[in-house]
Amino acid sequence: MARGGGRRVFFRRRKVCKFCADKINYIDYKDVKLLQGFVPERAKILPRRISGTCARHQRMLQSAIKRARHIALLPFVTD
Amino acid sequence: MRTYELMFITDARVADEEVESITEDVKTLLTAKGGQVLRVEQWGRRKLAYEIAKQREGKYTLLYLTGEPEELDVREVEYRMRQNDNILRFLTVRTDEDYKRAGMPLPTEAPPESESESESDDEDAAEAKTGGDEEE
Repeated sequence: MARGGGRRVFFRRRKVCKFCADKINYIDYKDVKLLQGFVPERAKILPRRISGTCARHQRMLQSAIKRARHIALLPFVTD
Repeated sequence: MRTYELMFITDARVADEEVESITEDVKTLLTAKGGQVLRVEQWGRRKLAYEIAKQREGKYTLLYLTGEPEELDVREVEYRMRQNDNILRFLTVRTDEDYKRAGMPLPTEAPPESESESESDDEDAAEAKTGGDEEE
């Protein structure tokens, strides 16, 4: 492909799964402080492409957040 | 052998003694249904993340239990909790596989941290019981 002008190079910081780095094998739904970091202000679950969490840990995180929501430790929505 | 965590929220208008007696009832029932309660944690009054039954606050109780899959009937216990209007919400989570994978020890009578810390935890819980929302 022809490309005119200066090629833009994006430098992306390589994201590393926080849970892999900390060698965490179980994400507790009771750990509200930890989970809150993955539900930004609208209380939606932070996608993997943003947080860099690996698939396995994202899955664990997802179920932990859903459990926490059920027991009202985390909100489903916030306005 | 399986382990579970059973957490339930009691209406915050219910007195702490009543929460205690509900907890006792649940424990008795669990034992009758083939379970064994390892540890009980009273979290006390806590703000709910959203309203449940028009309530913004609730009192949390957490039970750690264990039992053999053929004997333990959690469903029956859940059925009975559903009948109790003072229980706003409950959650049962099976944890044995997670414990195994994470290599975590089973919960014991005292929280797994150091002895002194577990004692102070108990005091906090007792304070929360008497002092209302002091923990927050």
